[in-house]
Amino acid sequence: MTVDNGAVGDLAKEMAQARWRRRADFFRRLLSHRSFVIGLCLFGLIVFLAIFADLLAPFDPNKNDYRNILAPPSAAHWLGTDGFGRDILSRIVHGTRVSLRIGIVVVITTGVLGTFIGTFAGYVRWTDTFVMRIMDGLMAFPGVLLAIALAAALGPSEINAIIALTVTFTPRTARVVRASVLVVQRQPYVEAAIAAGAGHARIIFRYILANALSPLIVQLTFVFAVSILAEAILSFLGVGPPPPLPSLGNIIAEGRAYVQEASWISFFPGVAIACAVLGLNLMGDGLRDVIDPRLRNVREAG
Amino acid sequence: MAQVKGGDIIVAQGSNPPSLDAMVTSSQASRNINMNIYETLYGFSEDVKPIPILAETVEISDDGLTYRFPLRQGVKFHNGKEMTAVDVKASLDRYREVGATGNLLDPVASIDITGDYEVTLTMNEAAPTFLEAFSSPRAPAVIIPAEEAGAEAGKTKFTGTGPYKFVEFVPDSHVKLERFEDYSADTRHSGADGFGGKKTAYFDTVTYRIMPEGGARIAALEAGEVHVLEQIPVPAAKRLADDPNIETHQNMPWAFLTFIMNMNVPPTDNIKFREAVQVALNMEEISAIATEGLYNLDHGWQYPGSTYDAGDIGKEYYNQADIPRAKALLQEAGYGGEEFSILTDSNIPEHNKSAVVIAENLKEAGINVVINQVDWPTALQVRLQTEGWNGWTLMMGIEPYLGPIGLIATLTRDKPHFVVNDPELDALQARMVKGQTVEERQAIFKEIQARLYSFFGVVKVGDTGLMQATRANVKGFKPFRFPRMYDVWFEG
Amino acid sequence: MFGFLVRRLLSAIPVLFVVSVVTFLIMWIVPGDVTAELAGPDATPQQVEQLRRLLGLDQPLFGRALIWYRSLLHGDLGQSYLLNRSVSEAVFERLPVTLSLAGLALVLSVLMGMLLGIFAAIRHNTWADQGAMTLALLGLSLPDFWFGLVLIFFFGVQLGWLPTGGFVPIAESFTGWLVSMTLPALTLAFTQMGVIARMTRSSMLDVIGQDYVRTARAKGMPFRVVIFKHALLNALVPIVTVIGVMTGVLLGGAVVIESVFSLPGVGRLIIGAIQRRDFPIIQGGLLITAATFVFVNIAVDVLYGWLDPRVRDDR
Repeated sequence: MTVDNGAVGDLAKEMAQARWRRRADFFRRLLSHRSFVIGLCLFGLIVFLAIFADLLAPFDPNKNDYRNILAPPSAAHWLGTDGFGRDILSRIVHGTRVSLRIGIVVVITTGVLGTFIGTFAGYVRWTDTFVMRIMDGLMAFPGVLLAIALAAALGPSEINAIIALTVTFTPRTARVVRASVLVVQRQPYVEAAIAAGAGHARIIFRYILANALSPLIVQLTFVFAVSILAEAILSFLGVGPPPPLPSLGNIIAEGRAYVQEASWISFFPGVAIACAVLGLNLMGDGLRDVIDPRLRNVREAG
Repeated sequence: MAQVKGGDIIVAQGSNPPSLDAMVTSSQASRNINMNIYETLYGFSEDVKPIPILAETVEISDDGLTYRFPLRQGVKFHNGKEMTAVDVKASLDRYREVGATGNLLDPVASIDITGDYEVTLTMNEAAPTFLEAFSSPRAPAVIIPAEEAGAEAGKTKFTGTGPYKFVEFVPDSHVKLERFEDYSADTRHSGADGFGGKKTAYFDTVTYRIMPEGGARIAALEAGEVHVLEQIPVPAAKRLADDPNIETHQNMPWAFLTFIMNMNVPPTDNIKFREAVQVALNMEEISAIATEGLYNLDHGWQYPGSTYDAGDIGKEYYNQADIPRAKALLQEAGYGGEEFSILTDSNIPEHNKSAVVIAENLKEAGINVVINQVDWPTALQVRLQTEGWNGWTLMMGIEPYLGPIGLIATLTRDKPHFVVNDPELDALQARMVKGQTVEERQAIFKEIQARLYSFFGVVKVGDTGLMQATRANVKGFKPFRFPRMYDVWFEG
Repeated sequence: MFGFLVRRLLSAIPVLFVVSVVTFLIMWIVPGDVTAELAGPDATPQQVEQLRRLLGLDQPLFGRALIWYRSLLHGDLGQSYLLNRSVSEAVFERLPVTLSLAGLALVLSVLMGMLLGIFAAIRHNTWADQGAMTLALLGLSLPDFWFGLVLIFFFGVQLGWLPTGGFVPIAESFTGWLVSMTLPALTLAFTQMGVIARMTRSSMLDVIGQDYVRTARAKGMPFRVVIFKHALLNALVPIVTVIGVMTGVLLGGAVVIESVFSLPGVGRLIIGAIQRRDFPIIQGGLLITAATFVFVNIAVDVLYGWLDPRVRDDR
């Protein structure tokens, strides 16, 4: 393709317009995708609860009331109280905050680390085997077993839960990024840019990462979802954020001794988790359909 | 009511026994099982007096320096061999080496075989309270065959002399015992008495099922899949009280709920600060939540009405929930917002629940509290360190049961719970151990309680109870320090 | 084919080496050791120290690592501190519980997932399709342990149909095993059937649209036969590929579900070992579980390579 100098400015303008049009079109398609919208509503509800927790919660989530232990749902306590006499609704509302906070931080750390490792392995080819073998080794621990073992070893705290989940989910993200780096690298326009003498930084950021972004976003949506689930599992096993911090997993864990006497304690936070995770999964499906239907089977994180 | 032999009784408990080698562990999960397998020379009766079990009696010399234990003859081990003085000496020598409370033999200079069925202990100096310590079931000084006494901790064949013998242990699943047909019952008694007495095993087998999920344990009891729950949450016990198929049993008092402070590090190294904590706490709120409603408010360091009950001493500091006074004391202490770190564990609900309520109380007084909740082994490790924690929630189950000496032992000498020795308390402990008569010791214990309420190293929160439950067809079950599986039977 | 198998097996070696290093690191970051619990809350530091020497825990970490690797090369995973048996005994005693739970859950989730997927594909673009797919995704979105508690509450407590926990070995009684495994396996299967359902649906839709299926229908072949003969067989191939990943998820899920239903499996063994600092069990348990997963994946790869020869040439 040869372009004479005078046309370069017009072309750039045209390209910018085209990009803007593509973006608008992208959001239009996204917002007309039914399951994405349903997911957005479900997840949005949870985000809304988390942001306005202080206004929405009828009680202080840590306010004990020993005269009101294990009270069933009533006008005063819509979802009942727990073994401390604390208001379950308030704890769930505040608990969404903790669960989302852990989820977001894990998404960011996993995204950054996974992108770095995946790009590095894919781009600096001689390190590929070595790096990916380590990732394979980390992925050889089935499911969340590695996260459980790590969190138990590090001790229960919010930051340790984040570390454990990041170590568990980074390899999967790195693998997704590496796969798209390998594909993108072989594209003619990248080869052309290399031939034209573009620097490594420019190639990586301008071409490779820009194109690896779509599968990464889809992947991270699912990482968000599984992080919320995994946090609940860690809390359930007693290796998540410690009390009295209300996280959705904590509340279920505290209620499991009263499955019969006070089933409301464990039941409602489970529903909240399901809302958040289902919402994220629906959004992830929608994003994937709109961005690139061929990514159908990208669902590494489990 | 006719006692019937036969049947497999299933007992559910929450955690694995750390060891079935009785002398190396003081864990309750182990004791629950082990005390059906093993026996000691001396042990406590129902009303907590030392009585002979495998010993015929004890003859203590007038100077208090020699303890001669004639043994009961014809007592069989589970391996069929008869118990002799050789086994007793080997067991006690091993206890000194690997016993979790092996230091109770510290006053003993030598253990000698003075007959086929007689062992004599020679003391370094007179120790009037030795026999009580020696009878302690905490990590019991059980008698095992000499040929197993060479084994490392936890590596014996679990052979004892008790009414049930060990069959198998599949961790996380179950422990199985079966009736020991050659059991030599102690015919001096008419029935079981505390840890001793005439024990009769009625069940063919006893199965301890390890079920970590509280809800699952209760559901299993209701479904009739298990017969005995050695511990059941109070709300569940209340719900099951009307169920004709289930009987609930209340063990009250069962334990002290305490809050221990580290006197080695700021801010808890300051006596005024500790006093502020003492008066800030709402014992009723802490106890009610931590025990789910089964508690007695009591400031005493012995159970009310027991031999050493020290009366109203210290009561003026108890259950005050006096936030203004606490704030004034904090100011006096020059408290500047240093972190107050409460150590607790995730395994024992009373511990972590009381930690949460204590934290809320102290926050109200303006103390900068953080909760450090770890698992039980880590908590035990952390509290051994001289810094890194300020407060520690602990239920003392067996210590108050053992009486004043058992209790005070954990607060003095080698490593007091509150890290720094209180010289006055140590001096009182030394006098207590040597106290010749009960009256003398009662007087000393009053001083001990007064002392505890003057430096506030450890806070008494309250007395807690324990609920147990059995299927209604289980007869003869009496709540005790461990679920006795002898003198209990299925309704015919 | 044989070469492919050998290549896959060789590639497992570095992976398992990384696994062993990670398990060693986990043991290294675990604070404290087994002695404090063994000695109990009344123990003095001296007693704890004595017990530590007795168990050989006073050795430096690097020395312990060397000893561990040396015995590992001889196939010896060491002795548990607390369970009075060797690590391999303890782990292989539990492995059947975890594997049979994961296995039954796998069978159930494949069956349930395929039924759901076929149903959705046949009713493509109807409310039934939507409903089925929402159910599939809902399963994927539920916390499995929570769903287990809900099932215990309904089937174990309210209805009293199934036991709330406990395990009967398959060798003792097959029906007993099946009864004790039903609720835990259902719990796990429900949270994983979505993967299969979605996959079945999309590959069936692909196939239904293809010429030869249309031809077959045009030739008058009954719809049911077309679905099962062509569409379903074709959908099976991609399902095989996810079985590897799903096995991992199910094994990991089994670890949690074991706690909920009081099953004596490897997961509880490992969690208990971490909580009680039984180092040899932590190492051995993690290593064997990971190795099981790696070999299942190899088996799946080989199966897939056999179904689709292009795969083995490509790698």
